Amino acid sequence: MPKDMRRDFADRAELVAYLAAEFPAAAAESAAVSATRGGRRAAEALLTAIQPARYASTRNFLDGAVTRLSAYLRHGVLSLAEVRRAALRAETRPAEAAKLISELAWRDYWQRVYAVIGDGIWEDREPYKTGLEAAAYAQELPADIAAGTTGLACIDAFSRELVDSGYMHNHARMWLAAYVVHWRRVAWQAGARWFLTHLLDGDPASNNLSWQWVASTFSHKPYVFNRENLERYSGGIYCRACPLRLQCPFDKSYEALQAELFPGGAPAATPPRRRQ
Amino acid sequence: MSELVRPVVWIHADCLSPQHPALLAYPGAPALFVWDEALLSSLRISLKRIVFLYECLLELPVSIRRGDVAAEVLAFASEQQADGVVTSASPSPRFAAISAQIAAQRPLRVLPVEPFVQIEQRLDLARFARYWRAVEARALNTFPEDTV
Repeated sequence: MPKDMRRDFADRAELVAYLAAEFPAAAAESAAVSATRGGRRAAEALLTAIQPARYASTRNFLDGAVTRLSAYLRHGVLSLAEVRRAALRAETRPAEAAKLISELAWRDYWQRVYAVIGDGIWEDREPYKTGLEAAAYAQELPADIAAGTTGLACIDAFSRELVDSGYMHNHARMWLAAYVVHWRRVAWQAGARWFLTHLLDGDPASNNLSWQWVASTFSHKPYVFNRENLERYSGGIYCRACPLRLQCPFDKSYEALQAELFPGGAPAATPPRRRQ
Repeated sequence: MSELVRPVVWIHADCLSPQHPALLAYPGAPALFVWDEALLSSLRISLKRIVFLYECLLELPVSIRRGDVAAEVLAFASEQQADGVVTSASPSPRFAAISAQIAAQRPLRVLPVEPFVQIEQRLDLARFARYWRAVEARALNTFPEDTV
C-alpha cells in the first residue's frame, strides 16, 4: 500500500538515510544516531546480562554495572514485570536484587503519578525550596550548555553524550540537571525539554518528575553535588583534563555551595542525597 | 462492549513488545503504528529517537504510517473492514485524547499491560518512599502470601 512507510532496508545506514529524508526536522535537531539498537532482540541480550548484586554496589559509578535497559522499558519493548522477574532469577536472595527492583519501582511510581496528574507534569508540583521564586529561573536553556561549550569538562562531556548517543548514566543526568537549575538558574522545564529531544528513554513522566526532584519542586530539598562527589563517581576522568579545574564551580563544601546557590537560606545544609 | 471478532491493532510507542497484549489476544490481526507528526514536532524529537523506535517497529508485524494518529487508525480500520480497534493501555493524556477520538467512531478495546506488581490497595503517591513502603514486599516476592 503506497501510504505505508518502508520496512525493507539492506542495512542500518539505508534505514537512517531513509528516516533522515522522511523526518528532516528531526535530523535538523540532531542527525546523530545512537549505537544503541532498537528492538526486542537487543533488549533481551541486555536483559540476560544484568547483574543485580553488582548493580547495587556499583551503580553510582559511571562505569558501574548499570543495565542500559531504560530505552526498552520506556517504550514497552520490555515490561517492568519481566525485568523484575529476571532480576529475582539472577540472584539467589531477593535482597541482592532489591536495589535494581527499587529503581524499576521509580519508573512505576512516575507512571502512576502521570496517570493522576497528566500534563501537570509540566508544571511545578510545589514551590522551589531554594529560597528563590520560580520567576528567578530563566525560561531558555543557555546555548553554551546545549552546545557543550561551557568550558567545564564534565558538563560539556555530558551534553555531548546526550546529543550524540541519546543516553546518559543516571548520576550524570542528576549532575547535569543540578548544574542547569541551580548553578545557572534555569527553569527545570527548559532542561526537561532538551532531554526529551535526545534521550532514547525520554519519557515525559520519568524525565520531568526527575527534573522536578532535582529542582525541589517535587522534593523537600534541592539536589546538589560537589566536585568531590563527581570526581569520585566519575573516576576523575573529567577533572584531570578540565581547563577550569582550578576555577571549578563545584569545588566547594556543601555548606559553601548552600550559601552560594541558595542565598535565601531555605534548606539546611545536609549531606548530599541521591535519587538512586 | 461486545467482543471484537476482526479488529485492527493500534500499536503506540508505549508498548513495542512482540508480547503486546493485543497481538497476543488477536494473533494475525492487521496492526498499525502511526508517527504522531504533531507530537514529534512539539517535542522536537531528534533523529536518533526515531531510528531507535523504527528498529523496534521492524521486529513487529505492523504497518507504519504517519500523520494524525486517530485519523490514520480509523482509516486503517475502514480499509481492513474491521469491527473495532484494540490497543494497550497508557497513562499519557495524549493517549487518552487519541483513544477518545477513535472510540467516538469505532469500538475501542484497551488491554492492560502486565503491572510491575499486583497491588489492590490505593497507593499514597505524594512521595516515592511512601509508595515503596507499600509495594516493596510484593516487588521482592517476600510478601508472606507470595510464592517465589
